[in-house]
Amino acid sequence: MNTTNIWEAQLTIEDHDHKPVELSLDQCIKCNICVTACPVTAVTDLFPGPKYEGPQAGRFRHPGQRTPDHSVDYCNGCRVCNMVCPTGVRIAEINGRARGDIVQGGQVSRQHKLRNNLIARPELLGKLGQPVAPLANLVLHSGFGRFFAKLTLDIAPEAPLPRFANERFSSWAKKRTEKVQSDRKVVYFHGCSTEYYEARVGKAAVQVLEANGFEVLIPPQNCCGLPLLSNGEFEAAQAYHESNISKLIDYVKQGYVIVGTSTSCTLTLKEEAPELLSYYTEDAQLLAANTFDINEFLVHLLDDGQLKSDDLKPIPFTLAYHPPCQYRAHRIGRPSVEIMDVIPELTIIESQAACCGIGGTYGYKAEKIGISNDVGQPLFDFVQEINGPIAVCDSETCRWNIAATTGVPFVHPIELLAAAYGYDVEGPLAEVIS
Amino acid sequence: MENRNEVLVLGAGLAGLTAAWQASIQGKKVRLLTKGWGATHWHAGCVDVLGYWPLDNEEVVNNPSSAIPQLLETNPDHPYARVGLERLSDALSAFQKLCADAGYPMVGTLDKNWQLPTAVGSVRPTCLAPTTMTAGEVDDKGPILLVGFKQYADFHPHMIADNLKGLGIPTQHVVLDLPAVASRHNTTGIILANMMEQTEFLGDVVKAVRPHLGDSQRVGFPAVLGMRKASAVHQSLQNQLERPVFEIPGLPPSVAGIRLHYILKDAIEKNGGRVFEGMEGIGCETENGRVTAVFSETASRNRSHRYQQYVLATGGILGGGIVTDHTGLVREVIFDLPLDTPESRQEWFQRDFLDVKGHPIYRSGVVVNDELRPIGDDKRVLYENLLAAGTTLAGCEVIRERAFDGVALATGYAAGNLVAT
Repeated sequence: MNTTNIWEAQLTIEDHDHKPVELSLDQCIKCNICVTACPVTAVTDLFPGPKYEGPQAGRFRHPGQRTPDHSVDYCNGCRVCNMVCPTGVRIAEINGRARGDIVQGGQVSRQHKLRNNLIARPELLGKLGQPVAPLANLVLHSGFGRFFAKLTLDIAPEAPLPRFANERFSSWAKKRTEKVQSDRKVVYFHGCSTEYYEARVGKAAVQVLEANGFEVLIPPQNCCGLPLLSNGEFEAAQAYHESNISKLIDYVKQGYVIVGTSTSCTLTLKEEAPELLSYYTEDAQLLAANTFDINEFLVHLLDDGQLKSDDLKPIPFTLAYHPPCQYRAHRIGRPSVEIMDVIPELTIIESQAACCGIGGTYGYKAEKIGISNDVGQPLFDFVQEINGPIAVCDSETCRWNIAATTGVPFVHPIELLAAAYGYDVEGPLAEVIS
Repeated sequence: MENRNEVLVLGAGLAGLTAAWQASIQGKKVRLLTKGWGATHWHAGCVDVLGYWPLDNEEVVNNPSSAIPQLLETNPDHPYARVGLERLSDALSAFQKLCADAGYPMVGTLDKNWQLPTAVGSVRPTCLAPTTMTAGEVDDKGPILLVGFKQYADFHPHMIADNLKGLGIPTQHVVLDLPAVASRHNTTGIILANMMEQTEFLGDVVKAVRPHLGDSQRVGFPAVLGMRKASAVHQSLQNQLERPVFEIPGLPPSVAGIRLHYILKDAIEKNGGRVFEGMEGIGCETENGRVTAVFSETASRNRSHRYQQYVLATGGILGGGIVTDHTGLVREVIFDLPLDTPESRQEWFQRDFLDVKGHPIYRSGVVVNDELRPIGDDKRVLYENLLAAGTTLAGCEVIRERAFDGVALATGYAAGNLVAT
């Protein structure tokens, strides 16, 4: 039984047999609940449905055998199928690994392989683009740049590209002079989006953690590798994952947990990388067991009566909130809602939509952006109906996607809490809070 | 400090949803955890209270309120005995009011079962049915036109028509091949239900059906007449076809069942409760006769949930609340509660697959007292803050009895009220 504090790393690994995900297909009772819940199947025939692709086609995918069809590549990885399955089949992971087989078998065109390898490397893009942010933003957001990207790489011209920030998050963190020192330490995993595009999310995370008495460590780290995993590039993804383990594991062994604001990065460290890659070294398991989404972490504090929740500034708005599908895949409930409940006068209306459609890199591809937009339409309608000055979502690519389509600016829930704590805010939130 | 979390319900079938709804309208702070979507997606969207009794003769029940006392006489440990007929009746009334307020009336009384056609054209006795289904009553011998969709492979009107003719009901059928449906390679009930809510598509359906109406007095469709706007779709079809229209529920996932899922989930959330999907309860922690935590599986570790009270509604063997293995182990998944179950594996099954006596293993369940608290062999309450509801309970065989929804509603209703007082 875990009676220790949530911020103290657990150094014993829970007993697990780590069976390959494919074995779970025998649990399928063919009830079709996943097919009716799948947001992609609902809008296109190109993806017949999770059951047909996963547990059914999975029976024909013996090791070493070529994957029988390409339709599996139209899965956007939202994992709604897993969430609704009454018998616990790992449908999305079965399909993710089938896609890996397609890529490994060389069944992807050279143009698409090049494109997928580029858009699935946010760290590389960030390193190239951020130092020349004004120029890179100008080119990437120009008609010519978009036209050229479509022509050469089949990248959707209307894709919701983010803007490079003028300053990297880690540079800001290094320059800070008044850091909180404490025996209670946590490691912050910022992910590529915070590092290169939205430093404000990382600043808010550091502020909230410090306000709760934590010293925040920000060691070197790299891309979690999820975009590569969802493009079937498993070898490259594993290199990123191994690198993160070597950079972070010593902190875990000193007793510190990893807290992140990107729901897809933390999911990758927890489960996606080990499971898709069958990579269960002791260090990989230790890192997984001690990684938290930031609101998941804060809810533990809240449950124990330790979250700072006195004298919070009211945020008198009614805002739409979309719990991203990557977040639901953590299987931790919806902690962000519980945290936002603490903020006075803030009313949150949760979206019931399955997915925004973007699927990480899925909606950036010219052949898939139409599907992506159709999948997201109910959510876009919801956000516009609520019509708040801003809206809320934990995942970066979802924020960019929904904001680009609806015109409603998006923030991460942690920015709201930082604002309620009285910190200066930046970005869209600064424009609505005086 | 006082635990701010009051009630944790485990399972999102009809029993769990009903318990969470009842506790939340009484002001309790309720959370519901579920592994996936529950039995609501598998069942017909009606409330079966008692369809067959005595079981061995497979005798159809016409009047549940007079048959249930007979059932309880021979089966004093049935969940209906635990909650009592009065609470069963209260539960049905409350549920009917909820559905009516949601614009989707469920009609019927405990004094008379409907006899409605199934997707193979046999008859199923049920107590409460949505108004979208009741015109299918087979006691009424008025001629029927059945409508199917060529691309919807889960509904076979010719087979239903043949069987209904056998019951003395003149039945014609037609299979529509509409361009809007044909444009999709795959057609599920959900896709059709959403299309039905579009006025233009509904107009196309009406236009295609009209030439086939003949002397039919009513028209039957698969249960795909709209999702959240089913009553309006149904009414509109009746107006345009100028005669009663009814739905026949078919293979899962059942649109009619999903409607009830939404009605209950909306009611829970409206009252401040929350439903968390994809969270599987896998174990618990107990201390001094109390449950102190339930653990659920997450992406990389187990998460504890500490509440004042817990309601177990994870279902039986079908629902996954009770698991079995090849060694003969029969186990309740979360609390490892003692079960009423055959002693050895040899006693699990009858020799014949379709034996009229049913297989003893499917009677396995948790034994509870009249307050739905699980008890041990010595009849003592095991954990003072744990209740069990629904088909996880012993003493019944809800599928053969056709009592699935009645047991779920009555015990879920009772459990929700018991944790709130």
